[in-house]
Amino acid sequence: MFRRTRRLALISAIAASAVILTACTGTAQPETTAPVGEPDPDATLQVGLVLEPTNLDIRHTSGAALEQILIDNIYEGLVSRSQDNEIEPRLASDYEVSDDGLTYTFTLNDGITFHSGTALTSADVVASYEAVRTDATLQGNAEFASVASITAPDATTVQIVLSEPNQNFLFSLTGPAGLVFQTGDTTDLKTAENGTGPFTLTRWNKGSAITFARNEAYWGDPAGVAEVEFQYIPDFTAGVNTALDGGVQVLTAVDPNLAPQLEDSGDFTLTTGRTTDKATLAFNNAKAPLDDVKVREALRLAIDHEALVEAVGAGSTLYGPIPELDPGYEDLSDVVSYDPEKAKQLLEEAGQEDLELTLTIPNFYGTTVPKVLISDFQKVGVTLDVDSVEFPTWLEDVYTNHDYDLSFVLHVEPRDFGNFANPDYYFGYDNAEVQSLYTDALAEVDPDKSAELLAKAARIVSEDHAADWLYNGATITAVSPLVSGFPEDSINSRINLAGVTVSTEK
Amino acid sequence: MIRYALVRGALLIAGLLVSSALIFLTLRVFPGDVAQLIAGTQASPAEVEALRESLGLNRPLPTQYAEWIGGIFRGDLGTSLLSGASVGEELVLKAQVTVPLGIMSLLIAVLIAVPFGILAAVRRGGRGGTALSVGAQALAAVPVVWAGMMLIVVFSVWLGWLPPQGFPRTGWSTPGKAIESLLLPALTIGIVEGAMLMRFVRSATLQAAGQDFVRTAAAKGLTRTRALISHGIPAVGLSIITVLGLQVAGIIVGSVVIEQLFTLPGIGRMLVADVGTRDLIKVQSELLVLTGFVLVVGFVVDLIHRAIDPRQREA
Repeated sequence: MFRRTRRLALISAIAASAVILTACTGTAQPETTAPVGEPDPDATLQVGLVLEPTNLDIRHTSGAALEQILIDNIYEGLVSRSQDNEIEPRLASDYEVSDDGLTYTFTLNDGITFHSGTALTSADVVASYEAVRTDATLQGNAEFASVASITAPDATTVQIVLSEPNQNFLFSLTGPAGLVFQTGDTTDLKTAENGTGPFTLTRWNKGSAITFARNEAYWGDPAGVAEVEFQYIPDFTAGVNTALDGGVQVLTAVDPNLAPQLEDSGDFTLTTGRTTDKATLAFNNAKAPLDDVKVREALRLAIDHEALVEAVGAGSTLYGPIPELDPGYEDLSDVVSYDPEKAKQLLEEAGQEDLELTLTIPNFYGTTVPKVLISDFQKVGVTLDVDSVEFPTWLEDVYTNHDYDLSFVLHVEPRDFGNFANPDYYFGYDNAEVQSLYTDALAEVDPDKSAELLAKAARIVSEDHAADWLYNGATITAVSPLVSGFPEDSINSRINLAGVTVSTEK
Repeated sequence: MIRYALVRGALLIAGLLVSSALIFLTLRVFPGDVAQLIAGTQASPAEVEALRESLGLNRPLPTQYAEWIGGIFRGDLGTSLLSGASVGEELVLKAQVTVPLGIMSLLIAVLIAVPFGILAAVRRGGRGGTALSVGAQALAAVPVVWAGMMLIVVFSVWLGWLPPQGFPRTGWSTPGKAIESLLLPALTIGIVEGAMLMRFVRSATLQAAGQDFVRTAAAKGLTRTRALISHGIPAVGLSIITVLGLQVAGIIVGSVVIEQLFTLPGIGRMLVADVGTRDLIKVQSELLVLTGFVLVVGFVVDLIHRAIDPRQREA
């Protein structure tokens, strides 16, 4: 009941997965649902979500709540990504990368129109991307730093030339930076839209629901349902009640604690989806005593990760900066084990007895993780004070001013390893070898070789104990048997609804 | 009377100006800003700076203040930095929850306070009167949140009569449901505020009972109770209006808490959410509207008082 403060943290991504943090028991097993009746093309799909976007301007505003519903459904980019984070063509029927990794040539699909009715041409792509490249207030501006030129040789071809190869560039086009908007459009993107996707925005009842309708003029295969209603229910219990009352056919971000209720009702099947959410216990590497690798290692050894995952209720252990769904993933469980005795010994060697540390944590994350950490650290003689702050305060103190000892947030962005190669990021981790490996990985044209370099860098980061990765989040979704094709993985960053159908009654 | 109203009106405007400056300045001490929030955790300092610049957050404080006040004089409460929506429009929308909630709370408070307060005064010294006074004292001390939770437990969880939280998506187009969802929250505020008001009604009634004109009425053959009701109560009615005016402020504060507890999409929750997102332009306008409302209620109460009570006229 008191969790509604979470709504305050609208923006984030980070919060979207806060969900996972509150629980204690019960992991749901994924099951496949067989549709019961015939798909009904006139059906309305109702989806329950926790975090409502603050506005719809995906060009200026960061946050998973926006990307989750808008990308692929309303707006589209040249390329998109699958649930497994694989890059796939979208507005582009095809793309080609030159051997030197510098020139990207995209061919557009035929017959693409904006919701306004205007046809999309390569000029719209050029204008959209040129804006991202030159306007620092647009999301993804930094990702376009290596873009040298964006041109349209003809109406269906777009060519992007980079000044240096960038293995992440294509992936960044699957995010807000890659979306294509109509040139010279005057739509107020904060409250309205003019995309190219299979759905159009029909209504936004702030504080409660956003409704999409099928775009009958869609250039690709039309959506399987006539209407989608996203209902924003910030309270987990209320969400479950709504689902049990038949108010929604799909409930996302189910609190693991409440999952059994939905399962026992027999009206829903539960899926557990993988995510790139890295529950990161950040160490302030630039500040004593955490600038001492022995202290950092001791803290990691003191944490019983298996028990923590169990307490959280969903997710899996993760011992390095790269999760399973990103390139460069490697099982790093050999780097650190649960060993309080060794932790004590290391602290003694580091001359840190009776160590007192402060954990700065945004207040929407609940108390499960801090509680476990307090008790684990106590066993090795470290006193942990928890400073639970509002998210904007966290952003200022921890993220901007680097004024903290330990911090906890879920880093949800895929492929964000670069933060450990950036000494100015709030982790304060500065390792020349990691930085050069990361630079090489970006410059490497062959994806497999690039992934190898990333894996190598990730191992160093973990062996340096630059942070602790408490767990890799998972997201539980309850889906009615009438619904088929609802995505399972990565749905806290993308809910691609084009292929979802709702069948007529049982 | 007109002179009094003019002086009182000038005071009202001065009060609003002082509050606006205070609100504006105190909000600026908050750590964190909306630009950083919009940019997210992957943004570079340069990107945040560019965003801050484009949102006008870099301009000097006096400029920002002047612009805000200037807008208000033109009837423009500003637009949200985050959502781009007009603050005025959103306030009107949220008021559709908060105002009915306030009115219902006030009604419930009066319905509890007046009869029970008088009863407690009439039965003073008796067992019933003592019980009523002690009960009111205890209820007035109850935190609103706790009272709300108890009511939820009883009426929603045990009896299942009323929804524990939320406001119908359909809003006032389904009035039955809307009222249903406001009943528990209104009851919560109403009971606590009513208990406070009841203590006041009791002591005001007792005071009236000691007045000469009531004693005279009683001497003319009315029972003590009848004398109180027909002569004493009208005399204390005025001061009850004053207290009710103060109560409005209490109800506004109460609604902030209660709207959180019952997930009601009203002004209180909007305010809390906007503080959380550092949407300061919105917060300052909302606070000013609320402050203005309380000041105006005080102004109106004073004028009514002045107009009705002959004893104040000479002063």
